[in-house]
Amino acid sequence: MKNCYLGIDVGSVSTNVVLMDEDKGIMAKVYTQTQGKPIEAVKRGLKEVRSQVSEEVRVRGVGTTGSGRHLAAMMVGADVIKNEITAHGIAAINFVDGVKTILEIGGQDSKIILLRDGIISDFAMNTVCAAGTGSFLDRQAARLGIPIEDFGEMALKSQAPVRIAGRCAVFAESDMIHKQQLGHNQEDIIKGLCDALVRNFLNNLGKGKEILGPIVFQGGVAANVGIKKSFEEALGTAILVPPHHDVMGAIGCCLMAQEYDMKKNRTSFKGFDIVHSGYQVKGFECNDCSNGCEVIEILRDGQVSARWGDKCGKWNGKLKNEVEKLA
Amino acid sequence: MKIGIPRGLWFYDYYPLWKAFYEALGAEVILSSPTNKHILDQGAKNTVDEACLPVKILHGHIIDLRDKVDYIFVPRMMSVYKGEYICPKFCGLPEMVKYSIKNVPPMIDTVINFNKSRKSLMTTIYEFGEYVTKDRKKIDSAYAEALKKYKQYKQSIAEGRIPLNGELMKESCFNGKRGRKTIALMGHSYLIYDNFGSMEIINKLKALNVDILLPEMLDNGRLRDYSDTLEKRMFWSYGRRLMGTAMYLAENKDIDGVIYVSSFGCGIDSIVEELIERRMRSESDIPFLLITLDEHTGEAGVNTRLEAFIDMIDWRRKNEGNLSPYGKSICGN
Repeated sequence: MKNCYLGIDVGSVSTNVVLMDEDKGIMAKVYTQTQGKPIEAVKRGLKEVRSQVSEEVRVRGVGTTGSGRHLAAMMVGADVIKNEITAHGIAAINFVDGVKTILEIGGQDSKIILLRDGIISDFAMNTVCAAGTGSFLDRQAARLGIPIEDFGEMALKSQAPVRIAGRCAVFAESDMIHKQQLGHNQEDIIKGLCDALVRNFLNNLGKGKEILGPIVFQGGVAANVGIKKSFEEALGTAILVPPHHDVMGAIGCCLMAQEYDMKKNRTSFKGFDIVHSGYQVKGFECNDCSNGCEVIEILRDGQVSARWGDKCGKWNGKLKNEVEKLA
Repeated sequence: MKIGIPRGLWFYDYYPLWKAFYEALGAEVILSSPTNKHILDQGAKNTVDEACLPVKILHGHIIDLRDKVDYIFVPRMMSVYKGEYICPKFCGLPEMVKYSIKNVPPMIDTVINFNKSRKSLMTTIYEFGEYVTKDRKKIDSAYAEALKKYKQYKQSIAEGRIPLNGELMKESCFNGKRGRKTIALMGHSYLIYDNFGSMEIINKLKALNVDILLPEMLDNGRLRDYSDTLEKRMFWSYGRRLMGTAMYLAENKDIDGVIYVSSFGCGIDSIVEELIERRMRSESDIPFLLITLDEHTGEAGVNTRLEAFIDMIDWRRKNEGNLSPYGKSICGN
């Protein structure tokens, strides 16, 4: 039986699951669309990742990250629940020697993380606006009728990129349409869009930050060679896209789970069998006070297994009491 | 006579003064409820769309009070220091409220403007008092009493008691234990002290075992001296205090991190936040985090940024102490 660690990154667009062995080798990885149904995505991810490994495995630790980290942690029984920034940082440090800058573009988030002497020294995330993230690229690709996989390759073919306004996704879209109507070809518009997104990223997140090499580009959008090329042109240096760039957050979780295991030598993992459990989510608005919290209740096979969303902890705490009484 | 004081904007800086003043004059003072979802929703629906979050919240509070009081207290706060202004939106607030919200009771919208000098202070006070009584002696003594209350309030904040939702916390936010992190939480007081509007940032930081330093806990005079050394005079009062805080912190460096909370679309922050961030980065290596808030109620974004920021500080500290960086088992080869 082989010992391994499980990492799950539940993001807005994709849910990523990774199994890592004790020597930090990636045994299996799954990149699946969240499609607004994180519970289904986690179940699908677990099932697929398990089916990729033929031998018997023993999961010694589990970590979760991403905006759905608490949901995933509740489902699988996680040992470590961490934010995406720390997870991405730890993964990059381990897989790229001496990395000093991480550029990460995901579905709804973009971040820049600066590392010095092997620790995170500064970071920034996009503010209230999600312009220039993966979901925007997806939308534009769909509008132009190009599969998102071919988007980057097409940008590389551009001879004379057009200039697209990059500050705001709505401006960018109308600018693109106007340029199309003038007769510019698709390659040039797409390259122009890549340049605009990179310009926007560096202006907003990179503002005032010292971007030193080696630079790593990760997250789902790193698969887009057009954006990578635009980054290289803008920064005037080579950019590394690690082989597992799309699941780096999940890999970071595996690494943190491994460390937790070394310290504590125990795991709360509930086993792969949970993929057969039925999960239901009920939401209700608590009207006991003026806060009007939106409380979420998660049922596993009809039993309430978690509640959150309440500011006062009443629903959350009530559940704990009920569980204690049962036990 | 019932006077309603909305829990928004100047409330967090001045309400003990106003409340004590009108109560001493014999009026009944009614505060709006602490900000909640309903108040935010109502505010967002009934405010001009380009207003910032705190202005929207104030509108919600006025709606909360609308049917309960005879007068609503919405002074026109132009300027409280010589040669300075507070914020353009404060200057036009009574009109904004009047034309955005239907059936507003009469407003106490006296002008507070000490931009030229403070000579008109007592005239202003009388004007406020005359909504209740014409007796100037009574107004004088009510003001003296109110001033005492106000000074106590300021003193309590300086001692570390945070006025969350305007109510002083029982204990100082300085735990005093060695090894605890202290983070300076900066931003306009009406955003930070509003528990709902700030997405509970103060409680979240407390839950992460962090001591919180607020600009209001530092000596205001000293902060103003700091910002006076700027090349160009800072003529926004909030900006001046915040800028002074940043300069003080960059020089003294006895802080583990700075979190700046700003509301989306704040005109003053568009300059002040930028200046502060640059100053912190060029003159110190204190970690800096900017959090921009708007009408969101999903908290995942704020939580992620706060957790990552605290992780980073812990990690840095361990490194500085020549201990192993995060997870030697992971990083060491």
